[in-house]
Amino acid sequence: MTSRPPDLRELVGDDVPPDELARLGRVHDLLVQAGPPPELPAELAEPPQATGSVSVLPRRRWRTIAALAAALALAAFGIGWLAAAARDSGGESLPKVEFRVPMQGTGAAPHAVASIAVLELDDAGNWPMAMTVRGLPSLPAGERYQLWLTEDGKLIASCGTFHAEGETVVYLNAPFRLRGKGWAVTREGSKQLLMRTSTI
Amino acid sequence: MPRVSERVSDGDLIQRVGTGDRSAFEALYRRFARPVLGLALRRLGDRGRAEDALQETFTSVWRSASTYKPERGPGAPWLYAVARNAIVDRGRSRAEAPADPPEEEAIEPGPPEQAEAAWISWRVHRALEELPEHERTVLELAYWSGLSQSEVATFLDIPLGTVKTRTRSALARLAGILEEELQ
Repeated sequence: MTSRPPDLRELVGDDVPPDELARLGRVHDLLVQAGPPPELPAELAEPPQATGSVSVLPRRRWRTIAALAAALALAAFGIGWLAAAARDSGGESLPKVEFRVPMQGTGAAPHAVASIAVLELDDAGNWPMAMTVRGLPSLPAGERYQLWLTEDGKLIASCGTFHAEGETVVYLNAPFRLRGKGWAVTREGSKQLLMRTSTI
Repeated sequence: MPRVSERVSDGDLIQRVGTGDRSAFEALYRRFARPVLGLALRRLGDRGRAEDALQETFTSVWRSASTYKPERGPGAPWLYAVARNAIVDRGRSRAEAPADPPEEEAIEPGPPEQAEAAWISWRVHRALEELPEHERTVLELAYWSGLSQSEVATFLDIPLGTVKTRTRSALARLAGILEEELQ
């Protein structure tokens, strides 16, 4: 996606007094010069543990812990979401779908298709998601697929792992800012993309 | 856990971190994690090493916050110096030891223009973290997503006029924050 600097007058309208426009213009120039701040990966959303002596975890451990936390969050979310759905059996109180993102199979899984329904942001700032997927080949026992958040075509954070048999609905969670990102599916432990979305 | 007000100054937060205040540490992290990561990415050019530098910076902050002297200057430049030292250390070596805090501001490596650009990005990214979420979102979409104002309105499902109002408010708020820091 392009990042052409926006026009200040277009941003704020034509009814801004000259003095204020000049002041806003200086901030505008600073924003353009600074460029975008980076997004924090999920495993760095919280500060390092800081009770008593502090030690830095090697990133591999951070990622392991993050993956474990994501798996636990996934399980908890799935249970909670389903419980809520069961409680509201009429469907009236189910979370609102904010938008849907189609996902296509790559050459490695040409028959796979999926749709990710991104639900309304929850109170904790997470994006609950329900992914309906079909056409993924069955995996050997013990192996799973993995959904990733992507940025610039790179896998940047795991959203959880799942089994897929026939048409499968998977409940996941994305505790990330989604602008400029997409999703991809791999086999767990592999970097080969089997499915991917375009950037949202 | 008690939340720390966003109105507390950076220096006050650092002083509270120096007394072992975990909530102050978390507030400081919320304010500075993205600016530190941005600085590290700019300097190191490698996401993994930049993330390491981010962790090391805040480990150093926790360990050395009690050495911060408010009479020697505000908190943001002190934290900037801690971050810069952690990033320089990460650039020199892949050792896992946390960086030591600076006694004084380290000499900025590289051309002065790069140092100035890094400092401006730091200030701007730090200031962005002070905006209310709804204003920050509009601003980030307007400046760095490539979306037009109308597309931002559609994306956020809010009226175009609201997008313009929030953008103007966010810019004005940023101007106030940055002018204070420029004094």
